[in-house]
Amino acid sequence: MTEEIVVEVKNKKYIVRKDLRYTKTDEWARLEDGKVREGITDYAQKELRDIVGVELPEVGTIVKKGDSIGVLESVKATADYYAVVSGKIVEVNETLLEQPELLNEDPYGEGWIVVIEPSDPKEFEELLAPEQYAELIKEKVEKGEH
Amino acid sequence: MGEFGGWEVPMLYESALKEHNIVRNDAGIFDVSHMGRVSIRGPDAIDFINLVCTKNVAKTKEYWMSGPTLILNQWARVKDDEMFYRVSDEQWYVVVNAPYREKMLNYYREIIKSRGFKVEIEDLTFKYAMLAIQGPKVEEVFEKAGSAWVNDLHTLEFRTNVEVAGQKVFLISRSGWTGEDGFEIWAEPKNLLEIYRALLKAGAKPVGIISRDSLRIEMGFVLGEHEYGEDPVKFPCALSLRYGMGAIDWKKKGFIGEEALRACRREGVKWIRVGLKMKKKYARIIPRPGYKLYVDDQVVGWVTSGTFSPYLKRGVAQAYIDARYALFEEPVDIEVRGKRYPAKIEDFPLVPGRPVVK
Repeated sequence: MTEEIVVEVKNKKYIVRKDLRYTKTDEWARLEDGKVREGITDYAQKELRDIVGVELPEVGTIVKKGDSIGVLESVKATADYYAVVSGKIVEVNETLLEQPELLNEDPYGEGWIVVIEPSDPKEFEELLAPEQYAELIKEKVEKGEH
Repeated sequence: MGEFGGWEVPMLYESALKEHNIVRNDAGIFDVSHMGRVSIRGPDAIDFINLVCTKNVAKTKEYWMSGPTLILNQWARVKDDEMFYRVSDEQWYVVVNAPYREKMLNYYREIIKSRGFKVEIEDLTFKYAMLAIQGPKVEEVFEKAGSAWVNDLHTLEFRTNVEVAGQKVFLISRSGWTGEDGFEIWAEPKNLLEIYRALLKAGAKPVGIISRDSLRIEMGFVLGEHEYGEDPVKFPCALSLRYGMGAIDWKKKGFIGEEALRACRREGVKWIRVGLKMKKKYARIIPRPGYKLYVDDQVVGWVTSGTFSPYLKRGVAQAYIDARYALFEEPVDIEVRGKRYPAKIEDFPLVPGRPVVK
């Protein structure tokens, strides 16, 4: 079982995994053999709820860290998601086109979105640590940024 | 929780999609206490109501609701859509939309004063709370809750000062805004809480405001500031709404907005409200308010409301389209984030075989 931080705030619980890095825009990133897999966090999926559609970038696209690389449609809202690092998109999770609910059901697993081959390995190291992201969620919820 | 019309309302309990399906297939309960509940009392009540709305309420029978009708301004734009409840010639109730409650109270009081009507307006919104229980299984729920008598009410019929699930109820009507069978109950908060618990125990499930929105969009029911509003620049005339349900009685004379409404009918409408369904390949794109409609390179309209229809499993919308392009079953493009996707123009309701309030 992966170790995790459970952020409890305002009667809600959000899971932050300790083996991942994070962004301020609520993506997670995992280093796998020099490549970076990304998805949205448990907090992000709980905010969006009922995700019914996803737009994926094309494999081969060159992206810069922080670029919008696609869109999530939920009943509640439309939300962009952003490249966690600069590089080339080498894999996209096409299962999500048919089963976007995986983003809600398993955000850190089956609900992954893309894999990026990074052009600057240092960028991964600059991402938020789990403890920092946990603090960020607390602040967001307390400020009512949702 | 979230904000609607200045109220804190339950947006969803678990999943808006699941809650939508509960109402379509079983029985769901909405807390709709945010809606305005108002008493209209006095010897001139009928004359007053007939002055402000587009329907002839003199035809409404005692202990029946008028059915939805429109309150117009002088430009034949819609101030609010409301239903009037007739207890007697001199005692009526009306439910006003939450964001417009204060506006409508002020408007009504002003008219009564300036025209010298013998009518008194009383705001009951904070005296009674309100639940809507909706879905094909509502009769079973009331049976289980020991109040099978309510199932004898016809659509749009109501009763006052009765008992439901052993609790005092001010008003219960067979009505709703989801396209399904159902009831709406007004009671003092302490009584309504007990009724809520009893109905949950009897099998109904809590549902939130987000699913109320997707349910009404599927049915083609309108929402203020989306499909209608008072600003004649932002919103077409009331006729363009194709509101239906007998909301406008053309035989009636002497109501506010009549002149502009008749002019709009004479001249023909520029815009028509239609339904849109995304084509299957783009089923998971949700058209949002303000997205533009295109035929080739011409803008021909705009989306007013959109959602994901759990029943059709695709994005659906309500939109205004230039009357010359309002061709049912024909395609139209919707611009979403700079790209255009095809949708089909359809009439309401967008879901088949649902009972519409007659």
